[in-house]
Amino acid sequence: MKRFVLLSVMLMILIPSVSRGDDFLGAPLPPGGKVVFQSGTRLEKSYPLTYEEAIAFYKEALKGWEDIKFWERKREIKIEEYNVRPWHSITIQKADGGSTITVRKDSWTWILGTLTMRFIGVFGVLVCLYIPLSIVGSISGRIALKKKAQQKRENKDHLDAA
Amino acid sequence: MTAYDILEMLRSTLQTMGILNFTWKVVVMWGIGSLFLYLAIVKKFEPLLLLPIGFGIFLVNFPLVPLMGTTEAGYPELIRAFYHYGLEWEIIPCVIFLGLGAMTDFGPLIANPKTLLVGAGAQLGVFVTFTGTVLAGFTLKEAASVGIIGGADGPTTIYLTQHLAPQLLGANALAAYSYMAMVPLIQPPIMRLFTSDSERRIKMRQLREVSKTEKILYPMIASVVIVLLVPAIAPLMGLFMFGNLMRESRVVGRLTDTAENALMNIVTIFLGLSVGCTMHADKFLSAKPLFIFGLGIIDFAVCTTGGILTVKLMNLFLKEKMNPLIGSAGVSAVPMSARVSQVVGQQYDKRNYLLMHAMGPNLAGVIGTAAAAGMFIAMFGD
Repeated sequence: MKRFVLLSVMLMILIPSVSRGDDFLGAPLPPGGKVVFQSGTRLEKSYPLTYEEAIAFYKEALKGWEDIKFWERKREIKIEEYNVRPWHSITIQKADGGSTITVRKDSWTWILGTLTMRFIGVFGVLVCLYIPLSIVGSISGRIALKKKAQQKRENKDHLDAA
Repeated sequence: MTAYDILEMLRSTLQTMGILNFTWKVVVMWGIGSLFLYLAIVKKFEPLLLLPIGFGIFLVNFPLVPLMGTTEAGYPELIRAFYHYGLEWEIIPCVIFLGLGAMTDFGPLIANPKTLLVGAGAQLGVFVTFTGTVLAGFTLKEAASVGIIGGADGPTTIYLTQHLAPQLLGANALAAYSYMAMVPLIQPPIMRLFTSDSERRIKMRQLREVSKTEKILYPMIASVVIVLLVPAIAPLMGLFMFGNLMRESRVVGRLTDTAENALMNIVTIFLGLSVGCTMHADKFLSAKPLFIFGLGIIDFAVCTTGGILTVKLMNLFLKEKMNPLIGSAGVSAVPMSARVSQVVGQQYDKRNYLLMHAMGPNLAGVIGTAAAAGMFIAMFGD
C-alpha cells in the first residue's frame, strides 16, 4: 500500500497534466507544499521536490502557454509572463532539501520599473558610444592641429629661405 | 439545356467575379489607399513608400484577389511570397539598413557626439506609449511593438514587430511609415509649443571637419559598442555599419553604389507593396489596428517632445547652447526631421542653418530606436 501511495504521489508530481495542483492567481503550483508567506500579491511555498523536479513540473505545466519566458540564473529560475494574466512571475529557488516556489502578482511597479530601466539603458548605450567617439575626436583634432602647425612652420621656413 | 441551367451557369460565372462580393469595407479601404496615393503623388510626402503602400492597400482590397493567400497547392500567392521572405524572414529591414548605412554621412554625429544623447531622449514616447498600450489591454509584447512606432523608424518597427507581435505587423508598419511621411505636419506645432522665441534663434557654431580616419573608425566603434551591449539588434546595426564602412572606405564603390541605389530601390518596392497588402479590410477595420494608428501619433508627438526637452536639459549644463529645435530630429525619420528643424529655424532667423546640426540627433535617433528595439527583443523575445 505504501509503495502504491508513493508511486501515485510521484506520478502526480511528474505528470502535471494528471495532477490537479493548486494555483495562485491562475499560476499553476505543484500539489502540496508548505506556505512560507502569503499575501494578496505574493505566495511563497516550500516543496520537498528537487530543483530539477520543480522545473520539470513547470516546463510541462506551461507547455503551450503563450508569452512565457524562462530566465535561468545561478541558483534560481524565473518564469515571467508577458500576457494579460493576473500573475507576473514564478521563481523557483534551490533550498535545503527541496525547492521554494514564489508566485508574484502582475504589477505596475514591475512594468514601470522595467520601462524606466530600459529608457535609461538606451541612454547608457549611447553614452557608451559617446565616450570612444569623443576620445577619437579629441585625438584626431590634436593630430590635425599638429599637422596644421607643422605645415605653417614649413611654409614660414620656406618663405624665410626664399 | 434548360433556362434554369443557363441561369445557374450565369450565376456561377458571376460568383467568380469580384463585383458580387463587394462590401462597404472595400470602399473604405480604397478611400484609405487613395489618401496615401494622394499624399504621395500630390503632396509628395515620402512618395517612395506611400505610393507602393497606397497601391498595395488599393489592390489587396479588391474582392477575391489572390495576392496574400496561398494557392491550392499550398504555395504563397505573389505578394504573400514577398511578405513571407522579405518581412517575416526579416530580410528587407536589414537590407534597407545596409542601404541606409551606405547613404549616410555620420560626419555631423562624429563632429558633435553630444547629440547622441538627444537621440536617446527622443525615445521617451516609445516608453510612454508602451504604458498606454498596456493600459488599453494589449500584451507586453504587443505594447513594445506599438511603442516603437514613435521612433519613426520603419525598418526597426518591422523588425521588432516581427519578433514580438507579428499579428500587428501590417498596422504597425503602416502607422510608422505614415507618421514618418507626415513629419513636416506633426512636428512644427510641437516644436513651437516647447521652445521660446529666443531659443529658436540660438545659433550653433559650425561643426568641425571630420577626418577620413574618424569616419572609417566610426562604424567599427559603433558596431563594437552596440552589438556588445544590445546583441539582439546585431542584424540591423551590423548591416547599417557595414554599409557605412563600405561608403567611408571608398574602396568598394560598386558595392556602395548597388547598396544605396539598386538594392535599396528593389527592396523598397517589395516593402511598400507588402506592407500595403497587409491592410486587408477584414484585418484593418477592427479596433486594434485603428487604436494603434491613433496611438501612433501620440507616440510620435511624445518622442518629438522628448528630444526637444533633452536639448533644453543639456543646455542647463552646456557652455555653448544648442538650439532646441534640433531636438525634434531625435526621432529617426532621416533626413526629413532634420530638414524640418532647418525649416522651422529659418522661419525665425533666415541666417540660422540648423540642418547639419540636426543631422547629429537624427542619426542618433536611428541608433536610439534600434537600441530600444533591441532591449525589448532581449526582454520579451523567445
